[in-house]
Amino acid sequence: MNNKKKVLTFLLLLPVFVLALHLSTGTAGTALKHPMEVEAPVMCSQCHTDWRASMDHSAEFGGLRHKFSARQNKQTCGLCHVESFCADCHGVNEGLKPSDKYKDAPERALPHRGDYLNQHKIDGRINPASCMKCHGRQNNERCRVCHK
Amino acid sequence: MNSIQSCQQARSGTPMMQIIIGLVLLSFFSIIPGIPGKALAANIAGESRTYMQYRETAAGDKLLPLYEYLDFTVQDLGKESISVHFGGWLGYDLSNNSFGGNADKDRSVQYGYVSYRAKEDNTVVNLGRVMVFEGVASERLDGIYARTDIKGGFGVSVYGGASTILTEPNDNTIYGGRLSHQSAGLYTLGISYLKQERNGSSFREEEGIDLWLQPVNKVAITGSSSYNKKTTGWMEHAYYLMLGPFDKLRFNTEASWINYADYFAGTTTNVFDMTPGGPIDPREKVNILGEEIFYSIDTNWALSVDYKKYGYDIAGNANYYGAKATYVLPKSYNAGLSIHKMDGDTNRLKYDEYRIYASKKIDKIDVTVDFLDVKYKEPINTVTNAYSVTLAAGYELTEKLKLGADLEYSKNPEFDKEVRAFLKINYRFDAELGKRKGV
Ligand code: HEC
Ligand code: HEC
Ligand code: HEC
Ligand code: HEC
Ligand code: HEC
Repeated sequence: MNNKKKVLTFLLLLPVFVLALHLSTGTAGTALKHPMEVEAPVMCSQCHTDWRASMDHSAEFGGLRHKFSARQNKQTCGLCHVESFCADCHGVNEGLKPSDKYKDAPERALPHRGDYLNQHKIDGRINPASCMKCHGRQNNERCRVCHK
Repeated sequence: MNSIQSCQQARSGTPMMQIIIGLVLLSFFSIIPGIPGKALAANIAGESRTYMQYRETAAGDKLLPLYEYLDFTVQDLGKESISVHFGGWLGYDLSNNSFGGNADKDRSVQYGYVSYRAKEDNTVVNLGRVMVFEGVASERLDGIYARTDIKGGFGVSVYGGASTILTEPNDNTIYGGRLSHQSAGLYTLGISYLKQERNGSSFREEEGIDLWLQPVNKVAITGSSSYNKKTTGWMEHAYYLMLGPFDKLRFNTEASWINYADYFAGTTTNVFDMTPGGPIDPREKVNILGEEIFYSIDTNWALSVDYKKYGYDIAGNANYYGAKATYVLPKSYNAGLSIHKMDGDTNRLKYDEYRIYASKKIDKIDVTVDFLDVKYKEPINTVTNAYSVTLAAGYELTEKLKLGADLEYSKNPEFDKEVRAFLKINYRFDAELGKRKGV
């Protein structure tokens, strides 16, 4: 039953993709690495004026805005970031709070700095939807201790 | 009980996962030297990060967890277009308390996959435990992810497999895709779909629209909407308007709307199980309007002010506003000062936030201080002032090896006072594999 469904899913996805491949254009793809070394905070608009300019890593990019670019353009992120960079904050079953790993980077927009067990009760009420993304279906073992 | 379950999951994984990890390891080792007759070259690059933490729980237990995070990428695997990616961590508790009290170990493979990438059309096929960020999907799954550009500015991506997120991994399937169209420099529009089944029945079914639009230079709109097909309601609309940079100024405006009933329907934790009349009402809807204005004084100094208004259908309103000043001297100095005020209809949502930090790098040493303070109007457990101070120091032993230590002291309603200490070792490596000497 279960395996059948998986096979079915793959059979469904495969033709879509193969069809897509037949319609491909043969234009060169994105590079593997960004051709120039950049420094934080990276302001793409210093060097690019097109679509890349809106990926400026200004302060609110790390907290909120990067999700829009990532949803559309994950490949562009790969020019400068390895996936573990994303997994540091987006781990499914994470051992450490992102802010515990980077105490030496106070300029970064890491979620929950300091001791968070107190402040989370307030933040969690202000905008619980912002927590759902990382704790709604993952990273929630520790929550169960109190949230029964 | 839950932690036992999750532990078993973490240890054994799904059968599919075992196959995948096997595949990844196999391809990894197959490129290690000694494949007779072939001089396969490959590049491996990655990082090992070891952390040892000391902290106490609110109940007074002393915890001493040790974590090892490892990530690597193997490129140019024989053929340039094949690569292997891995990221994961292992936890070991030196005091036997950290991981739920009943387990001394924890671990997780964050991702581990073999990737094929064509030179043209951004065609990518990833097989293994993959991270998928495509429209409504931001998922981890054991399966396949593929994308390619097609004619006329279109792009397609599909993915499918078993979700690694649920605690009962043996009977859940997740699949979906995204179709996008872009007109160079003007817009990118995507529609996406995700379906997840659990124990034979539909558990999540979501659709999304994502947009990036730049009608004229220096004006960009980006955002997304998601629709819950199961509960038949919009989950969220979140849009962002970016103006600038105009000389030294830039403006960012955020507008979002969230409908709790539809948004939280697919949760698997009781944190977000809401009851009508409870602390968070499932009938709640929130509008968030935000504005941030940045002003870069010169290449080092920047000032920003921000304002966010939360309008709830049930819980009243709250306003959050403040200012921030930063000073950055690349690779040498980094400092910031910010003051924010939360002013809500309820007493709980009345507090002031202060933060000061500074980080300096001198030759091989870096030192950081970070001070965070929240002053509550209404005392929580008789405490009105919660703060934490962090001191961190790092030493670059070599270009690749860095040692660090940090100490965090905090006082807050949860802990009278708390000390957390950290030791860490970061080691970056890269090497050429499988290349025989003299070749
Ligand atoms: C210091 C200047 C500089 C900065 C800052 C910068 N880039 Fe670039 N980037 C370049 C140059 C130079 C190229 C190569 C020429 C080109 O493609 O425009 C490039 C190329 C690119 C490419 C095309 C890669 C390819 O060949 O397929 C992308 C995509 C890109 N940059 C994205 C970004 C993003 C996103 C940011 C901000 C996070 C950014 N860049 C910041 C200088 C910069
Ligand atoms: C041109 C290179 C470049 C590109 C392209 C790029 N980034 Fe970054 N990004 C950086 C650098 C450099 C940093 C600073 C890293 C650090 O502080 O350790 C950074 C930091 C970040 C941060 C952390 C910000 C913080 O305050 O903590 C996030 C999140 C992020 N990038 C997401 C993305 C996403 C998502 C994409 C793709 C849409 C992307 N980046 C594309 C170079 C880039
Ligand atoms: C500094 C921590 C941090 C890093 C690093 C980071 N993110 Fe995020 N990410 C966040 C936060 C916080 C949010 C939630 C934003 C919100 O409130 O909606 C988020 C949200 C997202 C979302 C939307 C999630 C959803 O379920 O709707 C995507 C997609 C995403 N990030 C992709 C990425 C990618 C890709 C990278 C790596 C290039 C990355 N992120 C790196 C912190 C981070
Ligand atoms: C970008 C992802 C991300 C977002 C967004 C996020 N968290 Fe977390 N959070 C984590 C990770 C990763 C951990 C560490 C894993 C753990 O403790 O299980 C963590 C840990 C925590 C902890 C445990 C802290 C401790 O000291 O033990 C609490 C409480 C928490 N988060 C609450 C929240 C609340 C409330 C929100 C929303 C306001 C939120 N988080 C948003 C990723 C996130
Ligand atoms: C030490 C116990 C403890 C832990 C661990 C804990 N919480 Fe909480 N949490 C609380 C308390 C107490 C409240 C306040 C409940 C109230 O006011 O009725 C709360 C409130 C919240 C709220 C606001 C909604 C509400 O019910 O008031 C959210 C969201 C939340 N927590 C998320 C999390 C997440 C996510 C985690 C795990 C990453 C987590 N919590 C871990 C004790 C905890």
